[in-house]
Amino acid sequence: MSDIAVSVEGVSKTYGGEQPVIALANVDAQFLRGTATAVMGPSGSGKSTLLHCAAGLDRPTAGRVRIGATDLSSMSEKALTKLRRNRIGFVFQAFNLVGALTVEQNILLPSRLSGNRPDRAWLAEVVDRVGLGDRLGHRPSELSGGQQQRVAIARALVTRPEVIFCDEPTGALDTQTAAEVLSLLRSVVDDAGQTVIMVTHDPVAASYADRVMVLADGRIVQDMPQPGAERIAEQLARLGRRQPVTSREG
Amino acid sequence: MLGLAAQMLRFRKGTFVATFVALAAGVMILMTCGLLVESGLRYQGSPQRYAAAVAVVADRDRTIAGPEIFGETESTTVSLPEGGRVPETLVKAIAAVPGVASAVGDHSIAVTPVAAPGVPATGHGWGSAALAPYRMVSGTQPRTDGEVAVDARLAAGGKLQPGDATALVVGGTERKFRVSGVVDAVGPRAAVFFTDTQAARLDPNPGSFTAIGVLAAPGADKAAVVAAVRTAAVNAKTYVDGERGLVEQPEAVAARALTVQAGAAFGGYAAMIIIFVVAGTVGLSVRHRRRDLALLRAVAATPGQVRLMILGEVGLLSLLAAVVGVPAGLAATAWTRDQLVTRGFVPGTFELSGGLLSGLAVTVAVAVVALSSAWIAALRTTRIRPTEALGEAAVEPALGGKVRIVSGLVFLAGGVSLIGLTGATGGTTALGAATGMLYTFVLAVALLAPWINQAAAKLLTPVLRTVWGTSGYLAAANLRANARGMVAVLTALVLSVGFGGTVWFLQDNLQRQTVVQSHDGTLAQHALTGAAGLPATAAAKARKIPGVVAATGVRRTSVIIPNQLEAQAVAAQGIDPVGADQTLDLGVRSGSLTDLRASTVALSTTLADSAGWKLGDDARLWLGDGTPVTLRVVALYDRGWGFGDVTLDSETLTGHTATGLDDHVLIRTAPGADVTAGLTDLANAYPMSTVIGTDQLTGELAQDLAVSAWLNKMLIAVLVGYAVLAAANTLIMAALARARELSLLRLVGVTRGQVRRMVHAEQAGLLGVALVIGTAIAAITLSSVVHAVSGERIPYVPALGAAVILGGTIALALIATMLPIGRVLRTPPVQGIGLRE
Repeated sequence: MSDIAVSVEGVSKTYGGEQPVIALANVDAQFLRGTATAVMGPSGSGKSTLLHCAAGLDRPTAGRVRIGATDLSSMSEKALTKLRRNRIGFVFQAFNLVGALTVEQNILLPSRLSGNRPDRAWLAEVVDRVGLGDRLGHRPSELSGGQQQRVAIARALVTRPEVIFCDEPTGALDTQTAAEVLSLLRSVVDDAGQTVIMVTHDPVAASYADRVMVLADGRIVQDMPQPGAERIAEQLARLGRRQPVTSREG
Repeated sequence: MLGLAAQMLRFRKGTFVATFVALAAGVMILMTCGLLVESGLRYQGSPQRYAAAVAVVADRDRTIAGPEIFGETESTTVSLPEGGRVPETLVKAIAAVPGVASAVGDHSIAVTPVAAPGVPATGHGWGSAALAPYRMVSGTQPRTDGEVAVDARLAAGGKLQPGDATALVVGGTERKFRVSGVVDAVGPRAAVFFTDTQAARLDPNPGSFTAIGVLAAPGADKAAVVAAVRTAAVNAKTYVDGERGLVEQPEAVAARALTVQAGAAFGGYAAMIIIFVVAGTVGLSVRHRRRDLALLRAVAATPGQVRLMILGEVGLLSLLAAVVGVPAGLAATAWTRDQLVTRGFVPGTFELSGGLLSGLAVTVAVAVVALSSAWIAALRTTRIRPTEALGEAAVEPALGGKVRIVSGLVFLAGGVSLIGLTGATGGTTALGAATGMLYTFVLAVALLAPWINQAAAKLLTPVLRTVWGTSGYLAAANLRANARGMVAVLTALVLSVGFGGTVWFLQDNLQRQTVVQSHDGTLAQHALTGAAGLPATAAAKARKIPGVVAATGVRRTSVIIPNQLEAQAVAAQGIDPVGADQTLDLGVRSGSLTDLRASTVALSTTLADSAGWKLGDDARLWLGDGTPVTLRVVALYDRGWGFGDVTLDSETLTGHTATGLDDHVLIRTAPGADVTAGLTDLANAYPMSTVIGTDQLTGELAQDLAVSAWLNKMLIAVLVGYAVLAAANTLIMAALARARELSLLRLVGVTRGQVRRMVHAEQAGLLGVALVIGTAIAAITLSSVVHAVSGERIPYVPALGAAVILGGTIALALIATMLPIGRVLRTPPVQGIGLRE
């Protein structure tokens, strides 16, 4: 097994027809197993698009994406879905959960859809780790924002995925709750050796990562090992001044 | 997946209640139609007078081959309107069949007992009493031609005993008889028995029987006897078991035809509406859950699994709907059956039977409709990108593909090309034509709705802004942005306005057309009508009255026309052409009624069009008793609705109608002539007859029509009601789905009143568009069908009806939107913003 969890090679993504918007321009990146990476950049820099392409949620216009040794470019929609539910976990900014299902049902949704028998002991451990032991029978609408995010993380962990993709996981949370969620993600990397790739605006969130990648105009403009929250903020501020926000987010 | 589907159903009650209501009501309506058809098919009356016969031979229908279409010929079986006859000679042939003890010919002669005119009675020869068999209660059988045996009901009604003298009106003439005996009563009509020779003499069609009953010899093999009888009577039909009831009771045949036709026709229309409604609601419920579905896709579900889940939901709902709808349909059919019996459409012996088959068929049909629309909606969800789950706002998808706009335009063109349609000869045909055209237009609107909505929103923006200010500005923006989401709402509203406006008023127009034509076309001032029929001498006698200019005997019947698609029975009249131009004005377009003879015929222009006959052609048709005739077309006239589509010389009909009598005599008198005494004498000369003004004749016609239109109107009302229910359903669904959006508006500072005004403005815009389009469709459809029927371009629209339809739609839209919006506005916005849309 190689050390590379996700590899993005020459990936481009263009949206629209008559006046195409270039979201990603020939991006190369590799994400090592057992690391956490923060992808940052101003609005419209292409960071969300990069995440979607790397996670197999969206197809790049050009280039290839690999999860481990698997090449996603030639996979059918169905095969991609199966790959997502077995090898990838997701935590989104909001609307993570299906309102009709209880916390436990939401966590077990991927295994239920893949027809696998859930590993009860592992479920108990995951639930314990995210601190939701007493909430399993509740509906998402009865939980706070932080609790909802923790349910999403539990769902991402329960299938023991190789990679967990997070899109602004703390965007809707207060500082305190955000810190809890981020430590949880950090421990996933440190204890279980899983890989976390996280899109964020928040320099504090980025400071939990091993590596910070900054995008602007669909290109990687900075790639640095954990530089500390202050330097990140500085970098972003510089980009923000230079970068008029015109193109779309996502 | 089914468990997940069930859980989704429980969670999103509002949306699913709407789909469920649409499905359950659809099942109920279809169940009623299906059960009517099934009961009709199973209904055979009950053999009573022929109970002892092993088989009954009669000639009651014609199977007529239609034209060859694509190398295939479809034949239609039409019941003979006057009932066919079997020749006397056939009795001998059947009696000679081995195993037959005897073959008994039966005459059925219309008889009105003067002693008890209210008791419907039929005369027979005594020989046929053996077929029941009847039991003598008192007295003896009729031995001389001056004697009759009567059935116990008649004896009770007329207080008759053996030995009493009594009078019977037979063939329009009163005759005296002596009661020889009383027999026990069976069958729906009272029986009067003459001697066999007297019965043969009184039969208006001598030399023939209405039916022949076959009595098997003791110990004979029944099946073998029946088979041999079939071979002996190849030109007639041999009825066994329950079918014997159909021969005995012509009412049973009519009841069967009525329930089967009405049930099938309305079942068809209902199925079309149900497709629209179910497809609309299912589509809407999927649309409202885009984000949920996108999340499922992102997290773990393959497109196939999402489709399966949606199908599972709809399948479960269809089952639930069947559980509620089928029993409700049974109850509704029972009510309909009682109404049909009370109003005299079907005899009291008509019972609902079966139900299992209908229930099963309806459940499957509705489930198939629901599942296929769910499948189509689900196919759309594969285009939901999983990434949609991640965005904050669900992006309203583009208006629709090229396929959609092209097929919409094709349907629109199809509807327009139907405008010139001709050839509506009957009420059902006209209704069918109107419905077909309507659906084409509504389908076009449904397909083009996104573009219609957007164009309307653009057009209405300045208006809404002027009237409602800021709220109007927001409303216009919403309408524009939500053009796709409002498709189901627009379609449902257009459907209910268009459908209500067309079919309801069409019925009014057809009724009115008949009455108006009959009124305008009757030149005579007086009419002699006889409950027991009038012999041909009545017209001749009327002509001799001083002051009478002309008198025309009119005989109502039906003939069978081999139309271009399928043979059907159409209303016809037989008239005495001498002086008919003084009493009747049929609105002759070409040719002349003076050429009407035994070998010629006059047709309404609509019938001539639909059958493909022109002036001077030879028309091949069948008289009411099934006799084929070829008649030259000598006149085409306009007033087919008032007088029947076929006008024949009475001579052509002689021996081919059941009674051989005229229904009424139209009498034209010279201006100023005093004919009162002469007319009174005339009425006195014929039993049970009176002279009335022709206005009264029209009045009675209108009443008859109102009764026969009852079933149509009731079924139409149910269908319109269903369309309205569907519209309300979609409106409520759409309103409830906006909780989040409205909360957001209130959070950013829009007051509750402004939100309400904004919704009002949207409603006004949407309703205005729907009403304009719906009214236009109704007007075009109605006008073109009425034009085909009557030649008039402007249909008759009762003001009250128009007000009910327009006002009702507006009230419905306001209530179905404002109540749920009111509820949404009562939740605190902070709570509302947390809700998913």
